[in-house]
Amino acid sequence: MYGWIWRHLPGNAWVRALISLVLVLAIVFVLFQYVFPWAEPLLPFNDVTVDDGMAAVR
Amino acid sequence: MRVRLAVRTLSEICLTLGALIVLFVVYLLYWTGVRADRAMDAEIDRLQDRWSSGAVPSGDTGADGAGSQTAGSTGTGGTDRAGGAGRAGPPAPGARTPSGESFAIMYIPRFGSGWAKPVLQGVGRSTLQRGLGHYPRTAGLGEPGNFAVAGHRRTYGDPFKDFPRLRRGDRVVLTDGTTWYTYRVDARPYRTLPSDTAVIDPIPAKSGYRTPGRYLTLTTCDPEWGHSHRLIAWAHLERTAATSPDGVAGGPRRG
Repeated sequence: MYGWIWRHLPGNAWVRALISLVLVLAIVFVLFQYVFPWAEPLLPFNDVTVDDGMAAVR
Repeated sequence: MRVRLAVRTLSEICLTLGALIVLFVVYLLYWTGVRADRAMDAEIDRLQDRWSSGAVPSGDTGADGAGSQTAGSTGTGGTDRAGGAGRAGPPAPGARTPSGESFAIMYIPRFGSGWAKPVLQGVGRSTLQRGLGHYPRTAGLGEPGNFAVAGHRRTYGDPFKDFPRLRRGDRVVLTDGTTWYTYRVDARPYRTLPSDTAVIDPIPAKSGYRTPGRYLTLTTCDPEWGHSHRLIAWAHLERTAATSPDGVAGGPRRG
């Protein structure tokens, strides 16, 4: 997979390394900005209210 | 050749998944805290700016329709004075603040002298990422009844990380810009199930309180990283004091 990507990047080794770095940073940004905030509520750390947070139903 | 390709692809996928998990842990432990601390500081700055500029509690500015009487009288009267506590009917910030907006700052000396968190209206997910959340159907700050507040134990700045260290006699100090409210914790945190909504009743049965009063309830999750239980702390209002005109910025006075 990574070998395939490497072979398909243009330029010499330095250019390819630079492009790879940019790609990695872009992926990390997308993960932190969009994917993890979406995935995080599926985990239990958010439930701090009684009755699972829904507007203090009594 | 085919086997080699399969093995290589498999190892690459495993490496990728591992990196993904590590990144997610970094996000949870570090990045949510960075973001929440920034958001909470911004909320506190906004509150203090608002209080120092006009000394109008957020309840009045937020709900101009609903709170028109109070807002009108405050506007024409002494807006430059911070002595709102002397009014016959003190504003009920908890009841009027629009959902998701901050209306008070909480200080708990047990959690450290620098521990100060904004209290926002509502207990929705995005609200709790920016501070502590006030259960909207419970009493307002300092009002008769039960002022109930929820906060994260872990992630998003760990506001209630030291929750189990609360003891009888600990102070919980809040201000809404016009008044300091000092509550005293009455017992060690009480562990209960998430469905036990009676803990935020006006007179919580398990708290030991028997008569109507001005109470405070704090809730967070237990165990630290889980969600099977909740930790509850109860406190009663001990004293209120008007803030000095420039008093809010410095933090709570000793009581």
